[in-house]
Amino acid sequence: MLKQSGYGIVIVIGVVLAVLTVLEYLMAINHVGAALLMLVAALKAILVIYFFMHVSRLWTAEGEH
Amino acid sequence: MAAVTTTAQAAALHHDTHAGHDNYAAQLRMNRLGLWLFFISEAFLFGGLLATRFFLWGADTRPELDQTIGLIVTSVLLISSVSMRLAETAMERGNRRAFSIFILLTALFGLIFLGGVMIYEWGLFPAIYKGHLTPWDNKYGAVVFAMTGMHALHVISGIVFILIVWNLARKGSFSPERHWGVESCAIYWHYVDVVWIFFYPALYLIGNVVHIAAH
Repeated sequence: MLKQSGYGIVIVIGVVLAVLTVLEYLMAINHVGAALLMLVAALKAILVIYFFMHVSRLWTAEGEH
Repeated sequence: MAAVTTTAQAAALHHDTHAGHDNYAAQLRMNRLGLWLFFISEAFLFGGLLATRFFLWGADTRPELDQTIGLIVTSVLLISSVSMRLAETAMERGNRRAFSIFILLTALFGLIFLGGVMIYEWGLFPAIYKGHLTPWDNKYGAVVFAMTGMHALHVISGIVFILIVWNLARKGSFSPERHWGVESCAIYWHYVDVVWIFFYPALYLIGNVVHIAAH
């Protein structure tokens, strides 16, 4: 899926990660609890693991080269 | 008779090529599994450091670290993940020039991240920035140095890995069809990024600042 969609999806994910990082920072300034901050971090990690680290290739033939 | 022999040879060649592809695909699956098992083992190391942070500092304290620097180095590492993924996409598409540019950019971002950590978190160059934490004075310095130190070691090894892969690619060792070296290097770099995604809030954002006297 990612292979076909190419550079565009990479940029979109990059922008989403940047927005979430700024959100994290603003949440911290407003003294939001640790659990919520770690939740945002987990969301960012899931995006990186799914879209950049190709975790789905472990159980599919996608991206075989 | 000659025609039959040629057909048989062609069939054998096709069979060999097919078998070779199957072997490569099977090897690739094993490589990927092995790399992810390595990441799981590493997760225990970083998870232990994260648990140490919460055990020693609790969820309500943290040392005074420069927020602007924290946000900048975190952004740089995230951008490096994007450039690494772009490098991998370029290799998949056979665009070697774009691959070289993006992978070298990734190494450069990694170096900027390291510079930020060494200068502004560790205070290794007092002429530029005088740090107020040491690894031995209190629990805040000890945890900051342990977490950022272990992460920085992985960033350094990632940069070395990137330069090796770039050099191999320059010599033509990878193709759009076969580039496990590139893929593994990229996945490793993203893993280093994922670790920092959890370390950033743990070090910079969670808890109230505890002021520590400079030494």
